[in-house]
Amino acid sequence: MNPADSSLIEMSVAGFLILSIFSFLYKDNPFYRLAEHIFAGLTAGYYVGLIYQTVIVQQLTIPIYREGKLELIFPALLGILMFTRFFDRFSYLSRISLAFVMGNTAGIFLIQQLHGLVLPQTQATIINPLAGSWLLGAVPGGMIIIAGVITTLIYFYFSKEHKGVLGKTARVGMVFIMISFGAHFGYTVMARLSLLIGQVKFVAFDWLPRLIGVN
Amino acid sequence: MNRYRIAEILTGIDRRIIYLSILLATIIPFLVGFPQPIYVSKESRDLYNWVENIRDGSTILLTFDYYPSTLAEVEPMSRAAIKHCWRKDMKLICMTTVPLGGPSITERVMNDMATNWAVEELGAKKIYGVDYINLGYKPDYKAVLMGMGTSFRDIYPTDFRSVPLDSFPITKNVDKYSDVNFLYIISDNGIVDEWVTIANRQFGIPLGAGVTAVMAPKFYSYLQSQQMVGLLGGMRGAAEYEKLIGSEGMATLFMGPQSLVHLMIIFFILLGNTAYFLGGRKV
Repeated sequence: MNPADSSLIEMSVAGFLILSIFSFLYKDNPFYRLAEHIFAGLTAGYYVGLIYQTVIVQQLTIPIYREGKLELIFPALLGILMFTRFFDRFSYLSRISLAFVMGNTAGIFLIQQLHGLVLPQTQATIINPLAGSWLLGAVPGGMIIIAGVITTLIYFYFSKEHKGVLGKTARVGMVFIMISFGAHFGYTVMARLSLLIGQVKFVAFDWLPRLIGVN
Repeated sequence: MNRYRIAEILTGIDRRIIYLSILLATIIPFLVGFPQPIYVSKESRDLYNWVENIRDGSTILLTFDYYPSTLAEVEPMSRAAIKHCWRKDMKLICMTTVPLGGPSITERVMNDMATNWAVEELGAKKIYGVDYINLGYKPDYKAVLMGMGTSFRDIYPTDFRSVPLDSFPITKNVDKYSDVNFLYIISDNGIVDEWVTIANRQFGIPLGAGVTAVMAPKFYSYLQSQQMVGLLGGMRGAAEYEKLIGSEGMATLFMGPQSLVHLMIIFFILLGNTAYFLGGRKV
């Protein structure tokens, strides 16, 4: 919400709901539950309206009636078949739609992951560890990447018991994984605090001063 | 007082005292000021340099792939990106893959920047349909991303306001990824993976991203594989970009409280570990 463009009523609704949600930090209470239910209800209503407008109206009824795209009746039928799940006698028909979705998604996903993720990431790991400058950290960096990839993969190799050299290498892999978790945790703390700071600024320095007439 | 007693006291601190400390550490820097030096990271500078080297007046596809809950973290990135692009007189084609709030956030930020910031900084308003456009949201992001590689108009026959794309000068010669010069993603979710694997890998459009800090570590691998030209990670990334474009905004302001709260959290982690080691198994 941009405080400069908002009325005091809009800001007060937002401020009240923010405080209601934060009140859970003290303990569960009716204000928190009220805000939670409002959020759930609003989200559901918003989604229904949005999907109706962007799918049913814009991508189905308008193209069929105004542009004569009759081929869209086929996906519309598949969509309608999904609702047969509500009737025991005809529920098997919904499997046709599900099969279409699953087959379609699997095909797209497989190519996308292989071509867009697995191959380029593997390619990026096939590097000359001695290329580049020691001073700029390129050589140590390359070696760390290679060691990290190999030892982490070995950590997830479960066909042989992790003993001896395999066990020690897997342990190095675990250290890499823990470092990665640490980085993720640090970044997560930073992200959550950013959100807190934004809300605190809104409540303490935008809404409350305007509410009591200081601003 | 023996060490077990100290450990008991430390582990018995009410969690609400910790919450209150964090709240105070958030508010105090706003009141007394706690400016922090901002050092620009390589990945932020790479993104800035890439955009800087794009020809003036080029067309950029800018996404607003975030929910209202993360506005504080990512909206400063959007604003900084728009400032940078419009200083170079670039055309911005905006869209979102987020249904809940995405289209209205796009509309609000773009209108505000076009009517307020552009007048103050550039001396003239940016015109809808000429300098920027909001395509809005369409469901099924995979189909949207793939379809846009063939034809924007197949996916977005109209803009967010239901006006046909053909009626706008900005989209007159733009109909697929290869017609835009750069993809600038601002996101708080995993859609970045889809943009990389579909738009970049399958259709070859160069891209850079500004993401929430939660997401950032995952996307560093795309920098290594050169599937992404640069990355802004969380509010720190936004503050770095604000520094690079020479326009300090919200992210720079927020770095003060963020740094103080981080120090507070480190203090509590040390306190917790001290209690653990003092108390051993007894506490």
